Amino acid sequence: MVLFALRRLNLLLFTLLMLSVVAFSLNYFFPGSAIVNITGLVNATDAQLASYEKLYRMDQSVFFQYLAYLRELFNGNMGVSMSTQNPISEELITYLPATIELSLAALLLAMIFGVPLGFIAAIFHNKVTDKAILSVAMVGYSLPVFWLALILILVFSITLSWFPSSGQLNLLFEIEQVTGFKLIDILLSDSPYRWQAFQDALEHLVLPAITVAIAPMTIFIRLARTSMLEVLESNYIKAARAKGLSNIKIIYHHGIRNALVRIIRDMGLQFANLMTLAMIAEVIFDWQGAGSWLIDSIFQRDYTAIQGGLIALATFTFFINILADFIYASLNPVERYTRHATR
Amino acid sequence: MPRDKIYIEEEFPSPILQLWLTFKRTPVAIWALFCYVLLVLLAIFGSFITPHSAMENNLDMLLTPPAWNADGDISYLLGTDDLGRDMLSRLIQGTSLTFGLSILVVVCALIIGVLIGSVSALTRGVKASLLTHFLDVVLSMPSLLLAIIIVAILGPGLTNVLWAIGLVLIPQFIHITRNAIKEEQQKGYVLIPILDGASELRVLVTSIYPNIIDKIIIQATLAQSAAILDIAALGFLGLGAPVALPEWGSMLANSLDLFYIAPWTSYLPGLAILIAVIVTNLVGEGLRHSLKLQKEN
Amino acid sequence: MTVKSDSPLSKMTGYLMLALLTLLSGCEPANTEDSIFTDGLVYCSEGSPTSFNPQLVTSGTTIDATTRQIYNRLLDFNRDNYQLEPSLARSWHVTNDGKKITFYLRKDVAFHQTRYFKPTRNLNADDVIFSFERILNKNNPFYRAARGNYPFFRGIKFEQLVEKVERIDDYTIRFILTRPDASFLSNLGAPFAVILSKEYADQLIAQNEPSMLSMLDYLPIGTGPFMYKEYRPNAFIRYQRHDQYWKHPVAIEKLIFNITPNNTGRLTKLLTHECDVISYPIAPQEIRSRDDLQLEEVTSFNVAFLAFNTIRPPFDNPLVRQAVSLAINREAIINAVYFDQAEIAHSLLPTASWAYNEPQTKLPYSIEQAKQLLADAGLEQGFTLDLWAIPVQRAYNPDARKMAKLIRSDLARIGINVNIITYEWSTFLRKLSDGEHQAALVGWSADHPDPDNFFTPLLSCSSARSGSNRSFWCNRNFDQLLAKALSTRNAKQRRDYYLQAQQLISEEFPLLPIAHAKRAQAKTSLVQGNILTPFGGITFADTKKLAGEKQ
Repeated sequence: MVLFALRRLNLLLFTLLMLSVVAFSLNYFFPGSAIVNITGLVNATDAQLASYEKLYRMDQSVFFQYLAYLRELFNGNMGVSMSTQNPISEELITYLPATIELSLAALLLAMIFGVPLGFIAAIFHNKVTDKAILSVAMVGYSLPVFWLALILILVFSITLSWFPSSGQLNLLFEIEQVTGFKLIDILLSDSPYRWQAFQDALEHLVLPAITVAIAPMTIFIRLARTSMLEVLESNYIKAARAKGLSNIKIIYHHGIRNALVRIIRDMGLQFANLMTLAMIAEVIFDWQGAGSWLIDSIFQRDYTAIQGGLIALATFTFFINILADFIYASLNPVERYTRHATR
Repeated sequence: MPRDKIYIEEEFPSPILQLWLTFKRTPVAIWALFCYVLLVLLAIFGSFITPHSAMENNLDMLLTPPAWNADGDISYLLGTDDLGRDMLSRLIQGTSLTFGLSILVVVCALIIGVLIGSVSALTRGVKASLLTHFLDVVLSMPSLLLAIIIVAILGPGLTNVLWAIGLVLIPQFIHITRNAIKEEQQKGYVLIPILDGASELRVLVTSIYPNIIDKIIIQATLAQSAAILDIAALGFLGLGAPVALPEWGSMLANSLDLFYIAPWTSYLPGLAILIAVIVTNLVGEGLRHSLKLQKEN
Repeated sequence: MTVKSDSPLSKMTGYLMLALLTLLSGCEPANTEDSIFTDGLVYCSEGSPTSFNPQLVTSGTTIDATTRQIYNRLLDFNRDNYQLEPSLARSWHVTNDGKKITFYLRKDVAFHQTRYFKPTRNLNADDVIFSFERILNKNNPFYRAARGNYPFFRGIKFEQLVEKVERIDDYTIRFILTRPDASFLSNLGAPFAVILSKEYADQLIAQNEPSMLSMLDYLPIGTGPFMYKEYRPNAFIRYQRHDQYWKHPVAIEKLIFNITPNNTGRLTKLLTHECDVISYPIAPQEIRSRDDLQLEEVTSFNVAFLAFNTIRPPFDNPLVRQAVSLAINREAIINAVYFDQAEIAHSLLPTASWAYNEPQTKLPYSIEQAKQLLADAGLEQGFTLDLWAIPVQRAYNPDARKMAKLIRSDLARIGINVNIITYEWSTFLRKLSDGEHQAALVGWSADHPDPDNFFTPLLSCSSARSGSNRSFWCNRNFDQLLAKALSTRNAKQRRDYYLQAQQLISEEFPLLPIAHAKRAQAKTSLVQGNILTPFGGITFADTKKLAGEKQ
């Protein structure tokens, strides 16, 4: 386990190193002077810029500049946004939790519906149910997420008026931001309308979460189906069957549990996928998250924000990946060695 | 009169031919392939068969609904958009942008990826380990996120989007080629030409490639469906094709303002994307299915 | 490979299922009182304000969000007859030579009381003087904090016009002008001339921290019906009712500006009642067809026009300008771009202006004439034209790019090949001021009803230098006519001068007026009271919301 952990951490360090080098070199590739691109101070006086040039050791070689850049990065200083002049780290703290909240909700949905459907398909392998589930999954997998979002809004918001079409919470509710996770913030607040607000926030969550969940759900269906099939054909199940265990018992006691362990392995990658889909959904559902914030900054050529968003999103997705690896390895000891062997 | 075959397995079809023979037996896959070929033809010859110009405005025919609607016009089968441009013509022209360019990108990425993958499969040591690390990093990021990041760096525009998607796809091909080659190298049959004194490169080209090409083709269909979705998504976000071009994603984004007064301008491009992706996925699924059947036999 | 049956995993799934059930049961409609929905109003606006002080801006979006919500001015315009009426000044007096103007202030005007400022006194002469001093006096610390950037006041040459502002007593002030100016009172009624709190400014200075000075413009204090509470860029602005508002009690307790730049997004939010009111609605026919929605329209003083850059070829030749003007089908534009929510502009002045006069000959749409003129100019083989289109939606032009596409196909018929060019908004404005364009689709929304506001900023020689004259057209006769019109107080005489000025424009074609758009606003039927005003944006002071069923 220690060796496994070391190898993964090694990979994490390598990634962060690469990422920071890319982000640092961007300051020179983007138009404009490097110091303005690093700090984001577009309206600063020459004197101010000079003091920042000193901070970032712009008079020394590129290597020392990079070290200074790293030092500031570790202090949480990513400069200020070129368009709003607020510190990037503050903006990230405001917007990133919203994206994570949406992605987690969607992940939950995708697993709750995807995994059982996949199991059902595996149990009725090659029967009509299996084929129906697979074809639905194929369509779901092929749906462009932005189009799906529009259709859902048209049907559930406008025609049926079941769910609101945008935002995280009706703005008339004043909820102080503490963690950035809307649902948690509402529970922490002492507003007299707390429960009303909580319900309102849940209603706002439904459509974006479904939009984001559909494609990963189809992947979970396939994963669950494949791993259940594999489990059902493995020797220990055959042994259990030989011992006279009923089919239901086999599936319940062995199949589901072992298939779930395998699904966890892919959860990390799926979460990263979810975050990307969430970025697009955020734009359509007017969700105040890091995705719509990053896409906005691309339009506004806000280079500090692009850089900060890149570092934050990439670090986060990679971190989740490693986390999923650890969970998987702790649940499934064999994996620690097999991975070693294949590399 | 031809002689009766004495040995049944005298002629052993190549792996790719075997794949085709199994593939042929699935009706859905054949239909999907038919549609796929149709889309390819549209992408190549689309501009010759469009009934109207896809770019010219026609002020007399603003927002004409599709022909099955009471106010529709039969010469504008799928209606027109807010500048009077024929939707059908725009969709057909869009095929060469969204669908056609996705094929182009995938083919380029495939060639580069297979080359690098082959080289890396033949190298060992620090370089290979660095490459593995690099691939691990890149492959753990979703393609669209990477593409958005690359577009953020390069700036918006269709060419940049194509670069971005190509760059994102290359590592996938490197990965699959490398693993497939390593897997084949373990097998016994590769040993025979080596014992005969063939060079590593020759073994690769004559013995290994024919046996891994099916895997690479399947990866290509997967990559293409992702590429279509990514081109369209970036077009939709306004980071890709410029407004005037009939790229499906940006057509959809353009039509958002007409969502309530001319819904067909929104749902038609969406449907086009959906169909193109489903067709590509079905072809890929059919190939994978045939491969599995082959393995089982 | 098996996992023990009491693994944390199975427990986790159990908890997840439990949580899901709780969530689902929470979706039933609650029966708690809905007062939070009737006391508050959500307005979906089209963009973020650039500042919370309209003195520093020209953008309509900022005016909408600030002027009539947070502030008051000395004078206001009557929404029906466009005449000046008292506001913070209960009356005023102009001397016969037109150079001394005295204002008598109200005594009962309270400033906002917020978490960052607690006023100890009501509005008095000091506040009014401070509000204009910061624009006029280069040594005022707040002048420097804003870098002297007051575009509206620079455009009307306020600094040259006002000699000084005198304090007569606690509630009386007097402006001394260097020359009479007939549009001066109207300019004080413009949405930019808001009154700030001197006490608040002093509090900021007392903190002795230079960066605090700009708080005057970002954490605003005013006398208006709503006070600032919270702002998140590109997301929302939160206002709270000002309970001591001097004019009348305000019905809305919480006013939210939900910033939604996407046109369809705004309409969707209205259809689902997530917004009570939206700005610049698209698809008016859809809104009219619904019983629960209303469309409010107001004749707004604006004009969209095609500005020819008269100092660069080929538009330095009036014949070419005229030819292009003749070849543009403006009726089609009104139909396709404005969905008939506008009228063809036959002059810069909208028909509602008192100086407007129906022209005897209107500019026709004639390809033949245009071709003939091009031939006369020696350009019968045509040329390539860079046409610039504004990248944003404005009251006067809902979709400039679409308009540009229509013009491209019009001009193709007389052999002119059009490239449509557009940049991000602030870059666009900068390049436009530098005169990099050949022709540009731009427009103008009037700040007040005085006709001078259409001519001086758009076509005078001084505006050609400052850059707001997009045609860079400088005609001595035209400038003289404008100056004469400003120095007389006789309305009939002024009107004659403006008629001559319009005549000059229709001979020289420095620009082609295209449309006067109506400004529209859509709202749910629960919202009552006027929101749109003909000048200076929108107000929610007179709005109230009926209790209705929340969907």
